[in-house]
Amino acid sequence: MDYTFDFHAIGQNMGPLIDGLVMTIQLTIAANLVGVTLGFVIALLALSRWAAVRTPVMLFVEFFRCTPAIVQIIWIFYCVPILFDVYFDSLTMGVIALGLNLAAFNAEAYRAAIQTVPREQLDAGIALGLSPIQRIAYIVLPVAVRASVPVLITNGIGSFQQSALVALVGVQDLMYAGKFLATETYRPIETFTVIALIYLAVSFPVSQLVEYLERRRGAASH
Amino acid sequence: MTIDFGIVLGFKAALLQGLLMTLKLTLVCVLLGCVLGFVVSLARGSRNWLVRGVSRGYVEFFRGTPVIVQLFWIFFCLPLVLGVELSNFTSAVIALTLYMGAITSETFRASLKSVGREQLDACIALGLPRWTQITSVILPQAVIRAVPTLLSNCVSLFKESALVSAVGMADLMFIGQNISNNTARPIEVLTIVAVIYFVIAFPLTRAVSHVERRVLAKLAA
Repeated sequence: MDYTFDFHAIGQNMGPLIDGLVMTIQLTIAANLVGVTLGFVIALLALSRWAAVRTPVMLFVEFFRCTPAIVQIIWIFYCVPILFDVYFDSLTMGVIALGLNLAAFNAEAYRAAIQTVPREQLDAGIALGLSPIQRIAYIVLPVAVRASVPVLITNGIGSFQQSALVALVGVQDLMYAGKFLATETYRPIETFTVIALIYLAVSFPVSQLVEYLERRRGAASH
Repeated sequence: MTIDFGIVLGFKAALLQGLLMTLKLTLVCVLLGCVLGFVVSLARGSRNWLVRGVSRGYVEFFRGTPVIVQLFWIFFCLPLVLGVELSNFTSAVIALTLYMGAITSETFRASLKSVGREQLDACIALGLPRWTQITSVILPQAVIRAVPTLLSNCVSLFKESALVSAVGMADLMFIGQNISNNTARPIEVLTIVAVIYFVIAFPLTRAVSHVERRVLAKLAA
């Protein structure tokens, strides 16, 4: 191998990389806000008594879970403006695409958790005269959210990693900055290695946190 | 603008070719990835700290970074590092196999752990040789528990394989995007591409829940 490593060029260009990382983190946080809230609503709708509500919602969830994220992102970037005649900036489009994808995955996590809420607790809610909204807010929500936290965080890291895909449609995130820098400096090895390490440095501690939470839960349930 | 899905029919052959590439890539990487994943899961339980550390680093790295970054690294950097030309297909296979190996190793590890300690104690009490313990007692139980998760790992890999379009490999997504750009008909073409992926992945996810129920029933019996 006659390649000499030179991380100097990367060191000089940390500015754009940090800007990119900030964009990536903004995207991730916004997508998670959409995913955590919309996902819960979707989960409730998917458990609805009426097939007319349940079926389209389930179709939405399965469609987002069974197609590649890159196809969804490109579809939303190209087709939504034509179909609905609306134009958003690329950051908003990125948040919509990543948020909807995450909402579908989170909905499944919530659905599994909601089904673990004991039937008697809901009966008790009815006996106490709570309205359906109150039953959801005071009985279902706290249990479901607590039970699904590890999966929600895991999905959140997934969306952090998936956010790299929006670089392909021109959102100037970390991956975009990296691609730009790699061609600009002719230093693909150094650049992509640094990019990968930055992604790892963010997602590794979070995934360790999930493992810790799961271990603690495992210990508590014994 | 009028939407006319008939236009996609004219590109049937090209899309089919892309789909075949996607399936071929998925299949090759599933097979290689499962073998790699199993070996890595054993390495993670090794007595040698170096083997343990390296295998853990590998798994955390590939699970902690975006697949698209891994693909770019292997497409653009690996040929430079190794000093050899790699074909697109080879690079894609290397990248996706490494990814698949990392995620399946976690699946195998979890299932190996789930085989109860008392099973191993029973083996020792029965005086079974070490090799028989692994092949006749631990392995069959671990594999059966791993099957549902392995299947969903395969679905993930099938979906992630669409990323190779970003590095110029002519898979289903790449061909779909090309047709969509050339005909200026993104709605029809991209929707059909999404539907093709869905039609393959959806039955697989159903199969996962089916197999899961059967495995649970079998373990309970």
